[in-house]
Amino acid sequence: MWAAWSAVAVVLLLLPLYLDEFWLRLGFASAGAVIGAIGLNLLVGTTGQLSLAHAFFLAVGASTYIYVSGESGGFGLSDLSGLGLPPVIGMVLGVLAAGLAGLLFSPIAARLRGIYLGVASLALVFIGVHILNSWTSVTGGFNGRATPEFAILGFTFGNSDPDLTVLGVDFGEAERLWYLGLVLAAVGYVYAQNLLRSRPGRALQTLRDSEAAASVMGVNVQAYKARAFLVSSMYAGLAGVLYALSVGSIAPESFGLLVSIQYLAMIVLGGLGSVGGAALGGVFVTALPLLFQRYADVIPLVNSTPGEGGFVPGEASRYLYGLAIILVILFEPAGLAGLARRLRGLFRGDQRRARPSRPTPDPAGHHEMPSTSDRPAQGSTTT
Amino acid sequence: MVGVSTDTDRAPVARTDVPPLEVRNVTVTFGAIKALDDVSFTVAPGTVHAVIGPNGAGKSTMFNVLSGVYKADEGEVTFGSARLDQMRPFQIAGAGVARAFQNIALSAGQSVAENLMLGRHHLTRAGFISAGLRLPRATREGRLHGERVREIAAFLDLEDKLHTPVGVLSYGDQKRVEVARALCIEPRLLLLDEPVAGMNAEETERMADVIREIRSGLQISVILVEHDMGMVMSLADRVTVLDFGRCIADGTPAETQDDPAVIRAYLGSGDDESPLDAISAHETGVADHRAAQATEHPTDDDQSRKQP
Amino acid sequence: MTQFLILLLNGLSLGAIYALIALGFVIIFKASEVVSFTHGSLLLLGAYSIARLSESIGFAAAVVVGVLVTALAALVVERLIINRLRGAPVISLAIVTIGVDIILLTELIRRIGPDILNVPHPWGGQSVSVGGIGISENRAIAMVVATVLIIAFFLVFKYSSWGVAMRASAEDGETAALMGIRQGRVSAVAWVVAGVLAAVAALFLVGAPTPGVSAASYTVALRAFPAAILGGLDSTGGALVGGLLIGLAESFAAGYQENLLFLGRGFGDVVPFVVMIAVLMFRPSGLFGTRELTRV
Repeated sequence: MWAAWSAVAVVLLLLPLYLDEFWLRLGFASAGAVIGAIGLNLLVGTTGQLSLAHAFFLAVGASTYIYVSGESGGFGLSDLSGLGLPPVIGMVLGVLAAGLAGLLFSPIAARLRGIYLGVASLALVFIGVHILNSWTSVTGGFNGRATPEFAILGFTFGNSDPDLTVLGVDFGEAERLWYLGLVLAAVGYVYAQNLLRSRPGRALQTLRDSEAAASVMGVNVQAYKARAFLVSSMYAGLAGVLYALSVGSIAPESFGLLVSIQYLAMIVLGGLGSVGGAALGGVFVTALPLLFQRYADVIPLVNSTPGEGGFVPGEASRYLYGLAIILVILFEPAGLAGLARRLRGLFRGDQRRARPSRPTPDPAGHHEMPSTSDRPAQGSTTT
Repeated sequence: MVGVSTDTDRAPVARTDVPPLEVRNVTVTFGAIKALDDVSFTVAPGTVHAVIGPNGAGKSTMFNVLSGVYKADEGEVTFGSARLDQMRPFQIAGAGVARAFQNIALSAGQSVAENLMLGRHHLTRAGFISAGLRLPRATREGRLHGERVREIAAFLDLEDKLHTPVGVLSYGDQKRVEVARALCIEPRLLLLDEPVAGMNAEETERMADVIREIRSGLQISVILVEHDMGMVMSLADRVTVLDFGRCIADGTPAETQDDPAVIRAYLGSGDDESPLDAISAHETGVADHRAAQATEHPTDDDQSRKQP
Repeated sequence: MTQFLILLLNGLSLGAIYALIALGFVIIFKASEVVSFTHGSLLLLGAYSIARLSESIGFAAAVVVGVLVTALAALVVERLIINRLRGAPVISLAIVTIGVDIILLTELIRRIGPDILNVPHPWGGQSVSVGGIGISENRAIAMVVATVLIIAFFLVFKYSSWGVAMRASAEDGETAALMGIRQGRVSAVAWVVAGVLAAVAALFLVGAPTPGVSAASYTVALRAFPAAILGGLDSTGGALVGGLLIGLAESFAAGYQENLLFLGRGFGDVVPFVVMIAVLMFRPSGLFGTRELTRV
């Protein structure tokens, strides 16, 4: 297991030496999405609370970063204000602000049944877009606002300052951001994985399966729902900061309902309840439209110029993940993570792994199962 | 609060701090229907106390009150100094009251060990920070409690299934995981809701032995709701009989067995409320009927389904 | 005072339209436990079909066909997808309808493009006077039609065998099934009825004072979601009250927006959501929703 992970890590670390900018930027965008998806998965997949508010928390994180680290000054039509603090502080405050927003909403989130929350959370998205449009001095209004460059202790994540060349490869913005995304995504991944395999994670999973059972077993259901909401919105806040860095600016339409739905698509495709699945789903849904864009000439039915017949890349990818959501729920509720597990099972000739429960899916039901039943799941609960 | 030591216990460790449970004049109404009507009984420390009655008598409602899922409209429930009727379910667990559900309420996707570890929830502290960052104290706590969970699993013959997902276990095994999970709370009062429903004769006998061992070894109180009369009469120290929400008898198994009111209740009633009536009642749109349906009907359905 | 009455009347008429949408949303939930996020794009489908068909077959025929198309689409979704997922967790059911919504919405928006499609209502945008208060003719007719439809719906719901069967299965699906109620059919009919209601609502929603069918019509439809939640997801009466409340709130917020400028321009558009949050804060199951009793 360790060997496999180390190999993956080495490859990811070496890739900037070989890939061109398109792929590195795709990687950084994916890293943001992976973080956001892992956060949403904690709430929806693990805790069973449907939320369409994720875009709102991304917006809070992104705007806070831009406001805290951006400079004041008139810019075009709008008079922008900013604190001009170091970007690291902006990032941290972005995460905290998203958490605070989540905390403010959590009294509602904690009391609502999962399905009510699904619709109620729509409200945050619309209110969020309204605020982004109205609060011009902070967000830039509907024109949007540019993202200040990221930097840690004077080391900027741009094309210069300092100039950097590694093994003959220029390490510009794309290369530097790749590593930033990689580190943050890895931290987000490990934290979520630890959480799920320990006391709080068990409590969340049990309250998803039966709130009554969880509370009778000693879990303060409302408090745990609120905390899941808090953690999930902090993940979203970080994802929002990375999004702003990746695109270079934010605008209200970057945080509409469609974004929330994309995040939902990521975790459903990846497999509800699985951290690895959320990561896979994040990469998939992010990469799809970009790849369609780049390879529009090669892929049939996709055309990058609208009005020439065929589908524009954005549309094509929406059809595809819309369809994928339906197929996953109908046929493979464990998503990509489930498929991967099954392939691994086939590979090992292990056919006898029975699936629990009925034929119709409990999407969140079969996650985190040991990959084979004869191998003790080391350390998942007993360490 | 129970300051149960965790690492030194061996499975059956006698408890000396078990107070009596006193149910006094408890009434629960769902609109016009009284699911429980002025019910009182006392469970003496260290005894097995059975609550029996025909379908819809209010047994499940009683358990829901004891575990805090429903609030009593009147009356009080005390367990030592704790007023259970004023506490929320998770606080009741903290007071040492554990419940094994009739309709298995385990997480099917999680392993037996993970399900049992949930019982340790109120005895452990690891939170979102210490667990997520794998701080040493969280890891140590998990290890200590993991050992205790293994012992309890062994007590119920589940130690070889610790890492199996609950969903793939047999029905009888799942029922035992339910009981084991409740024991992992280190309870002073154990609520067993039809622990042998749907089990075959051999499994039933095994479960009866487990309950005897819990009484003799752990010396905690057990409240048993059960339809298997043979089991109730052979196990229980005392029996409370409910019918239409009222307590119609309370005494030793021998006393209640011959009580004319009990005999009448069992022969005279049953399923006299036909589903048709139930539905026409809803047409009036009274929300209370819904409530009553929600409480009593699933129980009835489950029972009728499970009885061969 | 007159302005107040105008806003009141406009709010009620808008609310009547929202109530139709919310009612469909609620009966789908009651019949099949599905929180249907497809409802917004179904409504857009209705509006789009009516607008496009009017060009070739005339307004009246277009309305009939548009309503049928929407109902049929709802039925297809129910038969092909929802019906196969009976007994699945509510959250999966909700998510699958989001999947359908993405596809349907993407296709409709692609077809509509940046245009605004005009629906040639025979009634114009002119004002009619109701007791001295002006309201657009479209809205006035909407109010009448919605009232008739809602009364008809409640009669059917109360007396028809489908209505009884549906309420029975909403109360206790298992018992209802044992009594021979075919839940599949109950659910299919619910989706069809919801489709019809959505298409009728669409017809009026894209009329005066709204300019026509555009991608933004979908967002308007989404404002009916708070109506359903506000009233209580499982309460048909609640959908009605919720619809009216949302309509009124939106109308007043838009009408008095000069006084609400500190909340940002266009605050009227988000008011339904703000009202929803405020209600849920105090009543987590909506105004008339049943607090679900835990079955353990």
